[in-house]
Amino acid sequence: MVKKTHDLGSAHSGFKDWYWQRLSAVVLAVLLPGVFILLWSVYIGALDQFGLLDWLDSFVSRLLHTLLIVALIVHAYMGLKVMIEDYVHTGLRVVLIALMLVMMSLFGMWWLALIWAWGG
Amino acid sequence: MSKMLQIEIYRYDPEKDAEPYMQAFEVPLEKMGMKLLDVLNYIKWHLDGTLTYRRSCGEGVCGSDGMNINGVNGLACITAIEGLKQPIKVRPLPSMEVIRDLVVDTTHFFDQYRQIKPWLQSKQPTPEHERLQTPDERAELDGSYECIMCGCCTTSCPSWWWNGDRFMGPAVLLQADRWIKDSRDEATGERLDQLEDAFKLYRCHQIMNCMEACPKGLNPTAAINHIKRTLLNRKS
Ligand code: SF4
Ligand code: SF4
Ligand code: FES
Repeated sequence: MVKKTHDLGSAHSGFKDWYWQRLSAVVLAVLLPGVFILLWSVYIGALDQFGLLDWLDSFVSRLLHTLLIVALIVHAYMGLKVMIEDYVHTGLRVVLIALMLVMMSLFGMWWLALIWAWGG
Repeated sequence: MSKMLQIEIYRYDPEKDAEPYMQAFEVPLEKMGMKLLDVLNYIKWHLDGTLTYRRSCGEGVCGSDGMNINGVNGLACITAIEGLKQPIKVRPLPSMEVIRDLVVDTTHFFDQYRQIKPWLQSKQPTPEHERLQTPDERAELDGSYECIMCGCCTTSCPSWWWNGDRFMGPAVLLQADRWIKDSRDEATGERLDQLEDAFKLYRCHQIMNCMEACPKGLNPTAAINHIKRTLLNRKS
C-alpha cells in the first residue's frame, strides 16, 4: 500500500467515461434484443434468408445497425479499459489500451463498410 | 470453570518476525454478551502482554479497533462473541501495512481524507452565532455524519486494493458527499471538480463490499452514487 499520495489533481475525464459507458449500455439494451428477435424468427421459420436480408437491407436497419455496432465498440472499449486500469499497473497499461483502441476501431470500420457497402 | 473459547490471532512484529503467523489462545467466556474486544483485553492483561491492537472508546464511536474478524471487517468492541464461528480468526485490516499485530498504518487513508478538506468552507463572514440549517437540511446529513472513519469499508474495497493510490475509497467519498450535501458549505463546486476523475471517484464499480463491512450500518455506495448523480446534474 502506498503511504503518501501525490495528489495530481483531477483529470476531469471520469464523468465522460462514465457517461458514455451508461449511454452505450442503454443503446445496447434497446437494440440487442432486436437482433435476437430477428435470429429467433429465422430459427422458428417465420423469416427465411431473403426475408432476413430484406430486413437488413433497408435504410433504417442500416442506421440502427450502425448505431448498434458503434455502441458495442464504445461499451467494450470503456469496459476493457477500466479492467486494464484495474489490474495492469505498469507502463504496459497505456500500450495495451492504445492497442485495444486501434484494433477495435479497425474492426468497427470493417463492420461499417460491410453494413453500408452491402447490396447498395 | 467457565467455558473456554478458541481464538487465533495474527501476530507480526516486523522487527523480530521474518513472517506473520497465527497464534492460538484459549480464553474463558467470562460474562454474557462478551465482545471481541473483551477477549483481546483478557489476552493482553492475563496471557500475553505483547499482543498489540488499537482501542479507545470501547463502544463503537472512536473507530480505532477496526479489524478483520473471521474474514469480515468490523469493530472488535461491538462485535459479540456469540454467533462467531470458532476458532475466531482475527487479522488486521486488509491491504494496509502492518505496524505490529493488529495495528496498521493508516497514514495514506487519512492523507486521502485530508485531501477532500473535511471541514466547512464558507465565504460568508463568520456569523455572530451558529450557522443555521432547517431541520430538512440537517436531515440530509443523516447517514453520513455517523461515520467514524474506522476504515472497515475502505479496506474491504477491491478497487481500493488495486488502485488505492488514486481511488479515494468509500470512507473518504462518503465524507466528501457529506460536505457536498451540507447546506452551509459553499465549496460544493470545487469539491465536485476535485472528484471528477476516472480514478478518484469513478473507480468504484459498485461491488458493495463497503456497505456490508460498515459497522455503523452506513451505505458508502449510495453516497458515491449521489456524487455521480450530482456531477451528472451539473453537466446536463
Ligand atoms: S461499492 Fe465502490 S467503494 Fe464500495 S466496495 Fe464496491 S467499489 Fe469499493
Ligand atoms: S463508512 Fe462505516 S465502515 Fe466506512 S469508515 Fe465510516 S463508519 Fe467505518
Ligand atoms: S474502541 Fe472505539 S470504536 Fe471500538
